[in-house]
Amino acid sequence: MVWQFSWLLLAATVQAASLSLQSPRFTISTPDATQLRSDTLSLTKKPEPLTLGPTDTLKLTFQITESDEGKGVQPHQTFLRFYDKASGEEGIQPVRVTPGGKAKFELNMARPPASIPPTTHNPLEVSLILGSFVHAPAQYDLFDLYLPASHTPAEHPDEASFHVLPAIKHTFRPEQKSPPQFVSAIFAATVLSPWLVLIGLVRFLHQIDPQLTDFVIKVE
Amino acid sequence: MRLLNSALVTLLTLTTFSLASSSSVLVVLDPSLDRENYSIFFGGLEKRGYNLTFRAPKDTTPAITDYGVPNYEHVILFAPDTKSYAKDITPQSLVSLLSENTNLLIALSPKQTPLTSLAAEFSLIPPPPETPLISHHPARSEPQTTIPVTVSSSSPILTPGIPPVWFTGAPHALGSTPMLVPILRAPAESFAADSTSDADSDALVTASEKGGEGLWAGSQMGLVTGFQTNVNSRVVFAGGVKMFSDEYATKELPSGGSPGNALFVTDVAAWVFQEKLKLRIDAVDHHRVGESEAPKMYTTNDEIVYTAHISAYDTETSTWKPYSGIDDLQLEFTMLDPHIRTSLPPVPGSPGAYQVQFCAPDRHGVFKFVLNWKRKGYSYLESSTTVPVVPPRHDQYPRFLSAAWPYYAGAISTSAGFFLFAALWLAGDVKGERKKGSKVE
Repeated sequence: MVWQFSWLLLAATVQAASLSLQSPRFTISTPDATQLRSDTLSLTKKPEPLTLGPTDTLKLTFQITESDEGKGVQPHQTFLRFYDKASGEEGIQPVRVTPGGKAKFELNMARPPASIPPTTHNPLEVSLILGSFVHAPAQYDLFDLYLPASHTPAEHPDEASFHVLPAIKHTFRPEQKSPPQFVSAIFAATVLSPWLVLIGLVRFLHQIDPQLTDFVIKVE
Repeated sequence: MRLLNSALVTLLTLTTFSLASSSSVLVVLDPSLDRENYSIFFGGLEKRGYNLTFRAPKDTTPAITDYGVPNYEHVILFAPDTKSYAKDITPQSLVSLLSENTNLLIALSPKQTPLTSLAAEFSLIPPPPETPLISHHPARSEPQTTIPVTVSSSSPILTPGIPPVWFTGAPHALGSTPMLVPILRAPAESFAADSTSDADSDALVTASEKGGEGLWAGSQMGLVTGFQTNVNSRVVFAGGVKMFSDEYATKELPSGGSPGNALFVTDVAAWVFQEKLKLRIDAVDHHRVGESEAPKMYTTNDEIVYTAHISAYDTETSTWKPYSGIDDLQLEFTMLDPHIRTSLPPVPGSPGAYQVQFCAPDRHGVFKFVLNWKRKGYSYLESSTTVPVVPPRHDQYPRFLSAAWPYYAGAISTSAGFFLFAALWLAGDVKGERKKGSKVE
């Protein structure tokens, strides 16, 4: 959010000239050239986060000069750094700078450069890294950028075994159900009911003619 | 002078407490590198009890292996610019050393050597040749190729709070294999390039626009990366050899203060030479609840108790001590696919023991207790115990079910009825028997 001033002071003691950023501007436009948003970037405060749709284009222009009012220079390193703080993914995109220090960068989401890292719903922090063999280096935090979420990078097949795997519980077959004991008792009684019929019949025979039932009485 | 120094050092090691129980290390040192310039690193190793043997890459003795048997427990290769070695050092022989449980510490360089192609075999993607890492940040009086790198505190290998380390060398990109253990990453502002002046900035942009691998830049690049093989041997590829030198260990940081090089290389050497994060499974046992011996086979729906005993190597005493610090150990009960996967928590009060109780599935077959724990930086723990699970025997099923009462009643009443009828029949007289019967006698 804030410039890194401490090394600037150190650099001032090391070398006279330091790199600085002049008149940074950004423009977000749709494919049919309507401008959605356009502004200059303040170097003291980050603007509201920028959002790009799947077909929008972001254009960034700025100039690199030698100290605040000096002439334009072409530094060795002019990199835009896209960094996702939550996932740690990072992409570095070099920006072409003219010998007069003027630079222009265009990001077309319809054909994004390979340097854009995989994105999620979290924003990318965009910063500008300037380095030179003859001037003191500089780094500027520009803005936060929301891009459409990308596919996640392909995982190595062994990657899952290096983390905790989901627990698996076995579903057992349901316990064997048996009918209520009461019902079994009724049917057992039904099975034994012919005995009652037999006893009834024997008593009936005894009533008719006692002699017929001698065998029963003898056994008793 | 060197002989006197090494004699003094060996005398010192004999008197000081040996921590690493005299492991033998072969140091292949390029003749262009001065051994005295690495005295802090080598002296630190010898103080911890390692026996160092030095040789040049082109020397034929001492050989690293004799007929396939490694002669040393660890090998340090500080020959980053050498393109030809003696016959015993080839990428294939180094890989076979790793499979024989020898650990390697290899220093790379921006030059293309056989070691660069060896690093590629371990999923490390080297940059184009002769492109060292340079960084203009922070502003400093040293050349752009000498870079102070902040050490992240997230790796379990490094002790926390190491100050930034000086680095000179080549970065590498990390492949996706999880067996790689990143130890030191490049600073976000650094990149690999062979330019020496501002006029080459156009070449940088063109190189990145060409496609393919593009520009090597940013914190996704690694500078020191480790790799742990399947047999638990370790190899570390460092992007440059200068970070091990005395010069870098004593050079002051641009923000003031002494650098962390000495601490960093000590930690890295401790991990590669298996002093830290080294674990093993001492024993596993399994039995039914209530028993203590492992049965020959289990029955479906048995309650099973599985216990694993795990130790970690303690360098201070050179012994294995029980270790209860793993909180995400998992056990799988597998037949072709895991049927059950549960966590195996440590037993409080029993150091080193991890236990779980579970119910065997109601499928019969040949199952395995599989313990497979892999985490970056730690030794891999793998164990597999095969055990049959059989369905219940005919007499293990529940008996005398209530649903069978009618059948019991029927069977018993039929038997009772037959017995009664037979008794009555035999006991009964036939009325009006003929006199004939008595005549016969």
